[in-house]
Amino acid sequence: MAEKKQSDWAKESDHPGIAHTRPEALDDITVLDMSYKSFAGCYCSSLLAEFGAEVVRIEPPKGDFIRTCTPYGMLHKGEGLNYLTEGRNKFHITLDMEKTEALEVFKGFAAQADVLIETYRPGVMDDWGVGYEQLKEINPRLIFASITPFGQFGPRSKSKQPDYDNIIQARSGIQYDTGEVMPEGRTYDECPWAIPTKAGPWIGWCQSGTFMAVGILAALHWRQITGEGQALDVATAEAYACFDDYAHLWYQLDGHINERCGSLDPVLWLYCFAPTKDGGVFLGGLRLEMWQAFADMLGKWDEWGAGDWTTMAPFGEMGEQLKWGPLVFEETRKYTNEELVTMSIEYAKKGRLAPITPVVAPVCSPEETMKDANWLDRGIFTPVADPVYGELIAAQAQHKMTETPIRTKWVCRPVGYDNEHIYLKYMGFGPSKLKAMKEQGIV
Amino acid sequence: MAEDTWKAYKGKKYFKPSPLKGLRVLEVCTLLFGPLGPAILGQLGAEVIKCEIPPLGDVTRSLLPVWKEQSPGLLHLNPNKYWIGLDLHKPEAQQVFHELAAKSDIIEDNLRPGVMESWSVGYQQIKEINPGIIYISKNGFGQWGQYAEENRPSNDGAAQALSGYAWMSSFPDQPPLKSRLFICDDYGALMGEVTVLAALHYRERTGKGQYIELSQSENIMRTMSWVWPYQQVTGKGAMPAGNRDVSICPADTFRSIDDTFVAIAAPAPEEFKGLCTAMGRPELADDPRFKDHLTRLKEENATEILKIIADWVRTKKPQELEALAEEYGFAASRVCNVKDVVHDEHFRERGFMTEIDDPVYGEFIDHEFPVMMSRTPPRRKWTARPVGFDNEYVLRHILGKSDGEMKQLYECGALGKWNDMQGRRPPPDWDGKAGLIMAR
Repeated sequence: MAEKKQSDWAKESDHPGIAHTRPEALDDITVLDMSYKSFAGCYCSSLLAEFGAEVVRIEPPKGDFIRTCTPYGMLHKGEGLNYLTEGRNKFHITLDMEKTEALEVFKGFAAQADVLIETYRPGVMDDWGVGYEQLKEINPRLIFASITPFGQFGPRSKSKQPDYDNIIQARSGIQYDTGEVMPEGRTYDECPWAIPTKAGPWIGWCQSGTFMAVGILAALHWRQITGEGQALDVATAEAYACFDDYAHLWYQLDGHINERCGSLDPVLWLYCFAPTKDGGVFLGGLRLEMWQAFADMLGKWDEWGAGDWTTMAPFGEMGEQLKWGPLVFEETRKYTNEELVTMSIEYAKKGRLAPITPVVAPVCSPEETMKDANWLDRGIFTPVADPVYGELIAAQAQHKMTETPIRTKWVCRPVGYDNEHIYLKYMGFGPSKLKAMKEQGIV
Repeated sequence: MAEDTWKAYKGKKYFKPSPLKGLRVLEVCTLLFGPLGPAILGQLGAEVIKCEIPPLGDVTRSLLPVWKEQSPGLLHLNPNKYWIGLDLHKPEAQQVFHELAAKSDIIEDNLRPGVMESWSVGYQQIKEINPGIIYISKNGFGQWGQYAEENRPSNDGAAQALSGYAWMSSFPDQPPLKSRLFICDDYGALMGEVTVLAALHYRERTGKGQYIELSQSENIMRTMSWVWPYQQVTGKGAMPAGNRDVSICPADTFRSIDDTFVAIAAPAPEEFKGLCTAMGRPELADDPRFKDHLTRLKEENATEILKIIADWVRTKKPQELEALAEEYGFAASRVCNVKDVVHDEHFRERGFMTEIDDPVYGEFIDHEFPVMMSRTPPRRKWTARPVGFDNEYVLRHILGKSDGEMKQLYECGALGKWNDMQGRRPPPDWDGKAGLIMAR
């Protein structure tokens, strides 16, 4: 029998709709997430929970402050919108770590856990008697993961500053050179948008959490071989800074400090956003043939002398980009986003350089993205039927796997929602013991 | 105490094992989205063999600026790898790939759907040779769906555009802004390694390998948190807000007295109180408009408090603000540039900005893998190589090929090296030996 077409085989084998029929990669792992005021911690434990790890979120009795970090102060059924998206698959319990009795209970959990995620200032866990050196005596297999602004060691590790996403973006050197260029002769007061600009999403936090997830999984592999646990340390600004792929080398080369260049690229062509009749598109053609194909697609092969181009090298220079930019934009303004996208798809079939074709992608608002049939089909925006919060859209199934696909079983839980189940399961505390602990303010 | 755990971490890194020691990874990747994934595994101790189509290889080799005739992007994105030039269009090269795949744990590619299959090195073909293989394909749109079927090409910038990420990262009433980072490539690649390592854990439990696919756009959408439920619940589109964080108040970037920029955040009660005290306006912490976080986040109140802070910051120097943040327990950082990061004493002391002494590309400072691991430290050792640089080493060491067999592979074009072109050939000051493993 002939092999199935790759796309058909893949869709049949990894469609998110059948995820629940497959096993889970991490369902033998227990994770304690006691992160506080940190979306990085929540995001990290979500990535493990999606793979089936049993994640127990330990919050103070009043709940984690991060729950209140929600756009415009908006709540949905009593919950902040960011937290709603990253409480997924987790059990939520409360424990007041300021109480001595609570610390003993916590040690019980730590003795049974594989992974612990925490985001307190270095020294806080130690002061509570539950730092890594103390817990490894109870559980030498424990993987103790700390995410903080400056890390566990180094001259600034004792800083009292808290960790927020906009600070990460500023400190990492990434915000500095992203943003619009100041129009000539204008000032900050006239153009308050022509300044270093951070990314809208909490990318600094998400990235730190994702790096830590990689670290945790590598540590689990090591533990599988040797039985040894260990401590892991992520400093959030480092986790974001390391995606600055070449600016630090350019600086070392000739002292060059990268500056803002709007939606062009400091060194790449064709690689920019371009205005169109009804919005804007991204244009990509880093290889000579793709840039030539782009010129050809617009009917400019002869006029621009595309046939004579032999190398991309000169086009990346900013001076050249500022020369070519207006020429390109004048053309793209004649078409709608859809027309340009279609032209690129058609060019791949019939163009002079086919199948080579430039990258053309519409610049979408998230509203358009959420309606895009391609993403809907791929299951990113499939609502989760949550027992507490109802049908809710939280981006999910962001990658596809044939054997152990991720899944979102529930999106979130209110503060302390799982106290009964989790305290019974891990500590053997029945209703009367739990009631007493609540009265003492421990839970 | 934490001090004991991390004492002399930087200096003792090479006196400890690597966590992924013993794993072998094959990559057929180009540009950023692909190569970064295996690089992560390489820094964690896996042996990574990068296959390039000779003589041109990875497209990144052409990208500016230029470091010893090489693209710094290639140097940064490809540490700790072995480089072979294998023309997978040729059946003899496919055979070599199969032999390597039989001895590997993980394969990564970032070509358009169907290309690896057309070379007989797709997952369905490789799993017949090695059923435990973990095979990940990364590209713009995944393996199926309308855009994949249309065989659309993609770049990081396309993912920034299609996902709504760029749209959410601009100032109100300004056109959407592309991040200077290749954020969808880099973030997607990072997420890819979460999947690979989870699959590895599963394989250790069951012996089963699997196939993984991911798209640039889908992974960045996951980081956009509130945007999706907000649009669903309110029926309105999410709006960009420049540097203001609409979920945290106060959190914004402000202009200081010397026209440089400082980010400040102080949302939690004690932090906000600290900021108000530092501003000499302690009464603001009790103002009904600002008293608790949810109230403060409301549009009219947020606008008000941010204006008050902006006026205050305009009278201060960045270093004063950072010192006040330390003293009063809120967060403040100047908007650092690349020079600040490279010279940052804290990053140096931690070994995050680490010294590379590469036999081919010389000495420079680069980012260490940003997860410090007390027992098994990740480490960045060497950087990129010219096309086909390690052919002899890999084919002899792993496959036991003789000189005669390799000669045949070269003659039929299955195996190849760089051509005489910038970015492909060794740097001009190369002595013909440095960095070569098998024969100098």
